[in-house]
Formats: sequence, C-alpha cells, structure tokens
Amino acid sequence: MKLLFLVLIFITSLNALNVYANEDTHVHLEMSDGSSAKVDQARFDAFSEGLKQAKILVVSVKGMVCDFCARGIEKTFKRDPDLLKIDVDLNFGKVLMAYKPTAKINEKSIATTIRDNGQEVVKIDTLY
Amino acid sequence: MLYTIPPMGILKYVVFLLFFITVESFARPVSYPGGYTFMSKSNSLRDTVYLHYSPTSRNAVGVEVVSDKVSNDEYVYLRYTRLLIRKNRQKSQGNLYLNTGISNDGLDNYFYGIEGDWETRRIFTGFGYKRTETNRIDIEEKYLLAGVAPYIGDYGDLHTWLMIKVKENSYTNTSSLYPLVKLFKGSALIEFGYSDSANWDVHLMYRF
Repeated sequence: MKLLFLVLIFITSLNALNVYANEDTHVHLEMSDGSSAKVDQARFDAFSEGLKQAKILVVSVKGMVCDFCARGIEKTFKRDPDLLKIDVDLNFGKVLMAYKPTAKINEKSIATTIRDNGQEVVKIDTLY
Repeated sequence: MLYTIPPMGILKYVVFLLFFITVESFARPVSYPGGYTFMSKSNSLRDTVYLHYSPTSRNAVGVEVVSDKVSNDEYVYLRYTRLLIRKNRQKSQGNLYLNTGISNDGLDNYFYGIEGDWETRRIFTGFGYKRTETNRIDIEEKYLLAGVAPYIGDYGDLHTWLMIKVKENSYTNTSSLYPLVKLFKGSALIEFGYSDSANWDVHLMYRF
C-alpha cells in the first residue's frame, strides 16, 4: 500500500506540474456572424493550424465536466467523413470542430448529436 | 453503526492526506450511443466481468458474469441500466440511474438498485443502493462516495480522483470507511480501494 500511494503521488505530481505549466489565456474570437466566442487562444491556434480553408465551429456545451464522458462526443463526430479535426476543451466547455470546406454544416444535427451523447448545446459559433 | 479504520499507518495517513489536499472519481453505467463498455469489478462479495452496449445515452443492456464469494456459485446476469435523470449545468452534472438484472438461474435470482452522482471538475459525490435476491440469500448493499480532484486535467490527460467511500452490506452486517483512488485516461479507468473489512475494492473499465 505504501509503495502504491508513493507511486501515485509521484505520477499525480508530475501530471499536476504539467497541467499548471500549460495554463493558457483566453481570447474572445470574432466569429463569421459578428458574435464572439470565448476560447483558449493557444488551444485554438494549435487546433486551427493548417486548417485555413476549413469550416471551424466553436460549440459551447453544458454538462461537459468530465473527460471520460466527453469521449463519446469525439468518438461520435469522428464517424463523420466530412470532419477534419475535433478537440474538446473541458475548461471552457467548448468543442472545437473543423469540417471540410465542401461540407454542409447542419447545426441542428450537431446539437442533436451532442444532446444524444448526454450533454446540452448552448451555442454554436461558426468561423468560415 | 461500526466504522473500521483503514489499515494504514501514520505515514500512510500523512501521505494520503497530502495527496488529498494537493490533488479527482466516477464511472458511468451508461455510455454514448453505439458505445460498448467493458467492466471488471472485484470486492469482498463477488468478482464480476460485465460487457454492455448503449443504444442511446439513456439505456444500456449487457451481460455480467458473476463469481459469487458468498454462495461460491457462478452465474450470469442479463442486465439493463436506465439513466432516469440527468441535470447538465455549465460547471456540473448530476445523474440518477436505475440498475436491474436477472440471472440465468431463474426468475427468483435478480437484483435492482439505484445509483446517483453529482460532479464538477473538482468535486465528486455519489451514492448507491443495490438489493440482490437469490434462492438462498438476499443481500442489500449501500455506499456513499465523496472525492476531490487534486488538479484539473485537460482533455486527454491522466485524471486523478481521491475519494472516501462508506460501504455497508447486510450479509456481513458491517460498514467500511476507506480511501479510494480513481485514475482515468482516454477510454480507460481504474479504481481501487482497500479496507480491513471490505478488503480490496477494484474496478476496471474500458470504453470502445
């Protein structure tokens, strides 16, 4: 037991250091419709790199508090061949999605998919 | 009600408390639509292997193979879990589940119960009640669970929960209070706790 707890502390400490070292600032991103979405700047920059032609969506989601539960969102959307990339930001309660330039975006369908996964969509902002 | 003290020395308590102060827990009995989940649990009453499929995010059906340590029997349950209530908030989520199962031993061998949880990214609380009825013996089990995340991990990080569980079962008529650690990363989760009276309480889970 002692050894087990010491190993856990070591792993947890390393992970905590890593998490705190990567703490990012946020930015209000101006969207296509003139609205703004609060996103983590560094995360968004990393996500959108190389996706200049893509249709990017910032989906604000309620109830997305745990990594294990949010896995379903990623796994479900990845079945869509028009999706280029997806990222989940638990801190800001956002799902970042990049679609092919030719993809037809159906916001209602996206909201339904997330609701079917067990969370609720508050807002969908588009950037394309 | 008699609570046993976990079998930890002073150093272990200090280590545990430090861990608790500076550093997250849970397991969802229903997955995302089309998702399969493999679970394995071991405690003082039984060892189980459970595979379930969720056609929707509110329902799961599955098969559980049980090695019963009380009756020394092995049997199979056909299980159904229903998410009764889910409350989504910006920074929290609450759930209430109904669990049921019927054994291959016949209609007299079944169980039912409820499980609930409420969590933020920092705090987790949960409870559960289960009644198992067989031809030979009926057992009631209850638990309360509370935990804290020592750090808030990002999506894809290793997430850690430090928890305290109070468990009671009518078979041994004892209550146990013991520490529990839950770790998960990606689609894999492991949870383990130990006490003198409850012995090892281990839970593994993987979602496909």
